[in-house]
Amino acid sequence: MSFFASKNTKFRTKGLKFDSVGLVTGLVLLIMLPALVQSNNYILQVFTHALLLASLALAWNILGVSGSISLGHAAFFGAGAYCSAVLSLEYGLSCWLTIPLAGLLATGLGLIMDLICLRLRGAYFALATLAFVEIPRVITDNWDELTHGSLGLVGVPGLPSLSLGTWSVDFSSSITASYYFVFAYSLVLLGLVRFLFNSNLGLAFQAIREEEIAAEAVGIPANRYRLLALLLSAYFTGVSGACYAHLVRYIEPGLVYGLHFSAIPMIFAICGGRFTILGPAMAALIIYPLDQFVFHPLLPAGHEFLYGVVLIVTVLFLPAGFWGSLRKVS
Amino acid sequence: MKTTPENHQNFFYFFYKCSFILFCLLFLILWTEISFAATIKIGEINPLSGKLAKQGMEIHQGVEVAIAEANEAGGVGGKQLKLISRDDQSQPDVAISRAEELCGWEKVRALTGGYVDSLVGPIAAVAKKYRIPYVASASLQKELVQYENPYFFRVSRLQGFTEPLCGILTERFKTQRLAILHSATPGSTELARDLESCLKANGLEVKLIEKFRPGTPDFTPLIAKLAGMKIDVIVSGGFTPDHILMIRQLKENRVSPKAYIGPFGIAYENFMQTMGEDADYLYSTCAWNPGITEPGSDATSKCFVKKFRQMFKQQPNTTNMHGYTSAKALITAMQAVVNKGQTLTGDNIRLALTQLDLPMPMEHLVFDQNGDPLHYRHVVVQVQKGRLVVVYPPDRASGQPVFPMPSWEQRN
Amino acid sequence: MWTTALVSGISLGSFYILIALGFALIFGVTRNFNLAHGELVVFAGYVSYWLWKVLAWPFVLTFPAAILATLFICLGLQRLFARLYEPQELNSIVLSFGMAILIQNTMLFWFSGDYRLIRIPTLSQGLRVPGFYLSYGQLTLLFLSLTVIAILYILMYRTYLGKALRATIQDKEAAAQAGINVAVMGTLAFCLGAILIGLAGPLYGCTHYLYPSTGHQVTLLAVTITIFAGVGRLGGIILAGWILGLAESFAVILCGASWREMVAAVLLLTLLAFKPRGILGKGEQ
Repeated sequence: MSFFASKNTKFRTKGLKFDSVGLVTGLVLLIMLPALVQSNNYILQVFTHALLLASLALAWNILGVSGSISLGHAAFFGAGAYCSAVLSLEYGLSCWLTIPLAGLLATGLGLIMDLICLRLRGAYFALATLAFVEIPRVITDNWDELTHGSLGLVGVPGLPSLSLGTWSVDFSSSITASYYFVFAYSLVLLGLVRFLFNSNLGLAFQAIREEEIAAEAVGIPANRYRLLALLLSAYFTGVSGACYAHLVRYIEPGLVYGLHFSAIPMIFAICGGRFTILGPAMAALIIYPLDQFVFHPLLPAGHEFLYGVVLIVTVLFLPAGFWGSLRKVS
Repeated sequence: MKTTPENHQNFFYFFYKCSFILFCLLFLILWTEISFAATIKIGEINPLSGKLAKQGMEIHQGVEVAIAEANEAGGVGGKQLKLISRDDQSQPDVAISRAEELCGWEKVRALTGGYVDSLVGPIAAVAKKYRIPYVASASLQKELVQYENPYFFRVSRLQGFTEPLCGILTERFKTQRLAILHSATPGSTELARDLESCLKANGLEVKLIEKFRPGTPDFTPLIAKLAGMKIDVIVSGGFTPDHILMIRQLKENRVSPKAYIGPFGIAYENFMQTMGEDADYLYSTCAWNPGITEPGSDATSKCFVKKFRQMFKQQPNTTNMHGYTSAKALITAMQAVVNKGQTLTGDNIRLALTQLDLPMPMEHLVFDQNGDPLHYRHVVVQVQKGRLVVVYPPDRASGQPVFPMPSWEQRN
Repeated sequence: MWTTALVSGISLGSFYILIALGFALIFGVTRNFNLAHGELVVFAGYVSYWLWKVLAWPFVLTFPAAILATLFICLGLQRLFARLYEPQELNSIVLSFGMAILIQNTMLFWFSGDYRLIRIPTLSQGLRVPGFYLSYGQLTLLFLSLTVIAILYILMYRTYLGKALRATIQDKEAAAQAGINVAVMGTLAFCLGAILIGLAGPLYGCTHYLYPSTGHQVTLLAVTITIFAGVGRLGGIILAGWILGLAESFAVILCGASWREMVAAVLLLTLLAFKPRGILGKGEQ
């Protein structure tokens, strides 16, 4: 009960003005984006995916802030994507049902992962998560009756529609609608993360991260909190995976369980600031559109290089990430 | 560099200012529209980076040849063609963004390109939304033509692989100790499935079907299994690297099947050069190769090879030809529309595509009502002394298959 | 069937041990995870390929050249790793991940996406033993790997330098206090690692194929074996390499090729669940 009380001042910034002003302008810009670009589908499409990756990075960071680096979040992403896709495509369930269920499946996977990796720390944990991806991946790949195996799923239903009384909106009908759906989800997740980090739970995570033995000595059960972080992180990663499946509508095991979706949230979270709230989202919203709009046309064959360079520069010179370092300054 | 608070601040604000300027520039670029009123825009989306970069590049080269040829001949309706190429990074979300950019922003008249079905599918959906015809260069799976999309066409399909394979296995090889290996990718898996059902329908039993991950570093246990079951014909739906490894390891362990058939990735100059003599006696399927072309299209084929060598200083392969064929289909359809005196709208071009009848070196291109190419059919080839020899079907064969393959001991 | 699987399991397993040793040494002594390990092996392979194909060097001479090239890069890498902040391990994962992307894209740029092989005809000849066939290539691999392991063993367990290395692996701070120059040990570890990579690269080009993005697979292999074995235990790595190689082979024969990756993962995870410090590790903490 007292876990969620807002006593944690660590994440409360000293430069409150800078932070809030920045956050509010950012949010306003994002809300107004469709109007600003006159519903230009191309720009909105890129930003929709940037927001999805931002939510993925935020979800990853929930675990990251408790001190564990996971290289295997694609397991949750893929499991969530397949769960929601299969339930909505083969069984005709509404996406409002399948997306949360996908998150729950991913959480179950997270529970299994925790049971296995309970006593691992640091690099050992990271590498165990890397190996863990193979389990759901191979199962999905071989379970032909349920998931069509390696053939992939074609024609996954789009995002659901919402009807409140006389007003209804179909989120798959246009890019603008999809954009607002993903934006709303990201916003909710951001709010949740902020609430979490500013509460006593956030303090506990920080304690585990910084000095686990001391934290245990003070009575914080590290393993239990690590489990909680993992479960929360897995849930939202699963939900992000489900959203991805309904946005793109074609999935196959190699794609959603691939290293790409394990590495990208890690890259964004580390570049943005692993110990901040906004950092990962900011990195996603800056780096991904930058890559798509600017670097892509300039270097059609070499823009992957960018990710490598950004990662190296950040870890060498800005260990707190862009956003983290910026906040330290203010 | 030791970071003092002043240092940090300087670096940061500098960076922050730079990104802001960059963003402004970006918006400016996006707002200004440079119109090419006197050209006809054709869009193209291929994987130009990532694992499929090589194949995507090859398709792109084929498309470029077609466009260059058409422009040299005066363009379509007096206007030059402009090719706008984009990279989908082998990621569906990027493919969708690029398709939106080309269809909605650049407003191309038609789309082509594409290498993998998981990317072609999403692009086709966007093309349908904008009512722009999309002729995919290398799509294979059945499911793509099962969703009502009158704007989707393709110049290849899986049947073109499975029919000749089934034919040669049931008519010439006739073995009951057959194994089908395939890669854990959608195209390869569907090939294995379709081939198995075709063989079953013709009375041939498949003893073993195994799926492996693309990029497996070791096939020896699989080879041991094949040897243990005394398999004599191996059909492997893997790709070039899988064949390279598999053949080497078959040789290393002196396991000599009577025939090894690899529909994907063998009938390429690069493979045969890399493998040298080890590539001899391997079977594959081939849609086109310099020298292996549809009857009656020798002249067009030679012309293509010449133009390709002039532009890219190397010998073209079948992937290049797929790109060339798909672009040619579009150009011919556009020409038909202009000849009728109509405007070049998506719907008019689409209609012209449905009525297309175009003899090409790779196939006699006619689309059925789902967008599938009616006459797309590979021939079965065997590598003999470093050259591709057509061995099936009989009416196109230029030589006899060497069956069984001489054992490794006999070869060196 | 089983003997072929056994023979290749051991021969390839020995090769994987060679690859893993470089990684394990660097990690053990400097606590730096080098996720770019696989890319470096492929790079060494490309250097060897280029010298063999374009400059027509005899294959054996390409080994020292590949080793020198890798040495150069590894020392550069060491400088970068030294500049990392705490926590060393996790930050090194991120840094080396970025380096892996860079090296991979550079190789793609220089060598293009074609597959390349180093073909040595004599290596595919061999002896027919009752039950199976043993190629000279497999024998060379086995022989070379075992020789290198033996040399490394002598170095680590019979020389003073080796003792110092082992001390650094066990406890860096205590070693420093005992008068061992930990920085020099780190450099030495990187050099030894580079030599091992330089040896493995051309062999990889010989037995597999060279392609810019195969590095990732090789890294995974090295990492799996190292974690499996537990850090710094030479015997553990050898055991781990063979066990993993054999387990995968038997999994393919028994369950099918599509379950191969999962068997390896389950094996690794089961081991980690019960023995977080590896096969020969001394239990937890």
